[in-house]
Amino acid sequence: MLTDALGPRFFPMALGSGILLCGLLLAAAELLFRGEPSVAGPLSDAGPEGDEEAGPFSIARFVGAIAATALYVAAFEPLGYLLTTPPYIAAILLIHGGARTRALLIAPFVTTVVLYVTFRFGLLIPVPDGPLEGLLPW
Amino acid sequence: MSFFEQLAAGFASALDGYGILIRAGGVAWGIIGGAIPGISGAVAMALALPFTYALDAPTALVMLAGVWAGANYGGSIPAILMRIPGTPASAPCLLDGYELAKQGRAAKALGISLICGTIGGLISIFVLIALVVPLGEIVVRFGSPEVFALALFGLTLIAGLSGPSFLKGIASGFFGLLLTTVGLDSLTGSMRFTFGRADLLTGVDTISVMIGLFAVSEMFFLIAHPARPAGTVVGTATTEFPTLRELREVGRATFIGTIVGLIVGIMPGAGATASSFVAYNEARRWSKRPELFGKGSLEGVAAPETANNAVQGGDLVPTLALGIPGSNSAAIILAALILHGIMPGPFLLTKNPELVYTLFAGLILVNLLMIPVGLVILRLCLMAMKLDPPVLIASVLSLIVIGTYAGDLFLLNPIQALVFGVIGYGMRIWGFSAAATVLGLVLGVLAESEMRRSLIISHGDWSIFLTRPISATLLFLTLGVLVYPALMTALRRWRSRRVAAAPAAK
Repeated sequence: MLTDALGPRFFPMALGSGILLCGLLLAAAELLFRGEPSVAGPLSDAGPEGDEEAGPFSIARFVGAIAATALYVAAFEPLGYLLTTPPYIAAILLIHGGARTRALLIAPFVTTVVLYVTFRFGLLIPVPDGPLEGLLPW
Repeated sequence: MSFFEQLAAGFASALDGYGILIRAGGVAWGIIGGAIPGISGAVAMALALPFTYALDAPTALVMLAGVWAGANYGGSIPAILMRIPGTPASAPCLLDGYELAKQGRAAKALGISLICGTIGGLISIFVLIALVVPLGEIVVRFGSPEVFALALFGLTLIAGLSGPSFLKGIASGFFGLLLTTVGLDSLTGSMRFTFGRADLLTGVDTISVMIGLFAVSEMFFLIAHPARPAGTVVGTATTEFPTLRELREVGRATFIGTIVGLIVGIMPGAGATASSFVAYNEARRWSKRPELFGKGSLEGVAAPETANNAVQGGDLVPTLALGIPGSNSAAIILAALILHGIMPGPFLLTKNPELVYTLFAGLILVNLLMIPVGLVILRLCLMAMKLDPPVLIASVLSLIVIGTYAGDLFLLNPIQALVFGVIGYGMRIWGFSAAATVLGLVLGVLAESEMRRSLIISHGDWSIFLTRPISATLLFLTLGVLVYPALMTALRRWRSRRVAAAPAAK
C-alpha cells in the first residue's frame, strides 16, 4: 500500500526551520560584520527611483491609515458600502493631509459613486447596502 | 492539431465577442496606471485582478497581459513630460525623454516610446512562442521529483537573487511557501493553522494576499512617507509618430533594446527595470552618436522603452514553460490561473493548450492595441497624473476593499489584504522581498504535493531525488545558488582584509 511517509507536519516544520536558520545567520552576520554592507542580489531590481526620494516616516499617519482601513472593513458589511466609503475616503484624505479643500469636498462622493456603479451595475456584484437595503430604488 | 491550427484557434477565441473591448480596457488601465507615479505595472495588474473574477480564464489572462503591456508604455508618459518615472522601469527614459520635451519634441518622444515599445513587445511574443512550445515538449517527461526540484530551484534562484539581501530573500520565499500550508491538507485532509475556524479551511486567499503585499503596502508607504510635490507638465498632450528616417535612426537602439529585454526577461529574478537600464547603456555604447545621450537623443528613449516591453515575452518563457514566474507581473499571471482553478506548473501547455494558445494570440493583439489605445488615452493620462496623490491613495484603498470582497463576498479577503498590507510595508522597510513571498505563494502547493508524491512513489526513500539525473542536477544547482553568495562574501571580506592589512604590515 502507498502511504504518505511525511504527513502534513513535515513541510511547515521544514520551512519554519529554514526561516529560523535564515534569521540566525542574519543575526550572526550582523554581530560579526557590523557596519559592512550586506550581500545584495546581483539581479536586484531596485532602480534609482527607490525609497530615498520618499519623505520622512510619520508614525501617526501610518497608524491612522491602518486604523481607518480596519474600521472601514469592520463596518463594511453591517453599514454597507454607500454609508462607509465617503467617511473613509475623507478620513484618508485628512490623515494624508495633502489634499486640496475642493478635493476633500468632492472626492469622497465621486469615488464612492464611481466604484459603486462599476461593481453593482458593471460587474453585477451584490455590494452590501447595510441599512439602506430596501430603501434604494434598485 | 498543428501549431498553426492551434494558434489560429487561439486568435478566433481571443477576438471573440466582447473580448476585444475587455482587452482594450486592460491596455487602457495599464497605460493610465503606469502613468500614475506610485502605481507600478505589478500594482496596476494586482488592482485589475478582482475584475477578472467574472471573466473566463483566457480572457482574464489576456486582459492582465494587456495591463502589463500598457503599464510599460504608460510609465514613460510622466517620465517624458514631467521628469517623474511612472514606473521604476521608465527611469532611464526620462534622461533623454525630458530633454526632448524641453526642446519642444515631447510628442515625438511619446511616439518613439509607443512605436518602439510595441515593436519590442511583438518581437518578444514571437520569440516566446518559438521557445515555449519546444520547451513544453521536454518538460512533459518530468515526474514528481523533477517538478519538486524545479520549483525549489526556481524559488531559490529568484528569491535569493532578486532582493536586496540573499538571506532575507530566501526567508521571504519560505514565508510564502509556509502561507500555502494554511487550510485543509490536500493529501491527508488534516487541518493546518486554521485555529478551529471554518473560513480558513480553504487556506489564505492568494489574490488578497498578493494585493495586500503589492498594492496596500504601497499605499500605506505613500501615506506614511509624505509624497514629493508633483512636477509640472512640459510639452503638449499629443503623440507624433516617428518618420521612416527617424525609425532608421533608432533602429539599432530598438534592436539592442529588444535583445536585452528578451535576455533579461528570460533570466529569472531580473525584470523590466534592470532591462531598461542595461539597454540604455548598451545603446549608448553602440550608438553612432553617443554624445547626444542625455541631451535629447531619440535612441535614448527608444532603447529602454523597447527593452521594458520586450521583457514581457522573455518573462513569460519560464512562466508558461516551467511554471516559474520570472517577475512580479508574471507571478500575477500565475495567480490569475489559480483564481480560475488552473494549477500553474510545467504541464500548462500539455494540459491546457487552448489556454496557452489563446494567450499567445491575445498577447499579439494587446501589443497591437497599444498604438490606438495609447493615442486615444493620452489626455486621460494627463488628467490622472494631475490627481491629488491622497485622492488617488484613498480611491485605490477603497477599490481594494470592495475588489477583494467582491470575489467571494467574503469579509476575510479584505481583512487578509489589510493584514498583508501591513506585513508588506514592514518587509519593504526592513529589506525583505514581497516578490519572493508571492513567488512562494504561487509555487507552494505544487512544491509540497510533488515532494510528498515523490516520497510516496519511493516508499519514503529520499534518494529518489538524487538518483534521477534531471532532479539531481536541479538540486545540485539549487545548492550552488545557496552556497555562491556565502563564498563570494567570504572571498570579498578576505580580500578587503588583506588590502587593509598590507599597509599596516609595512
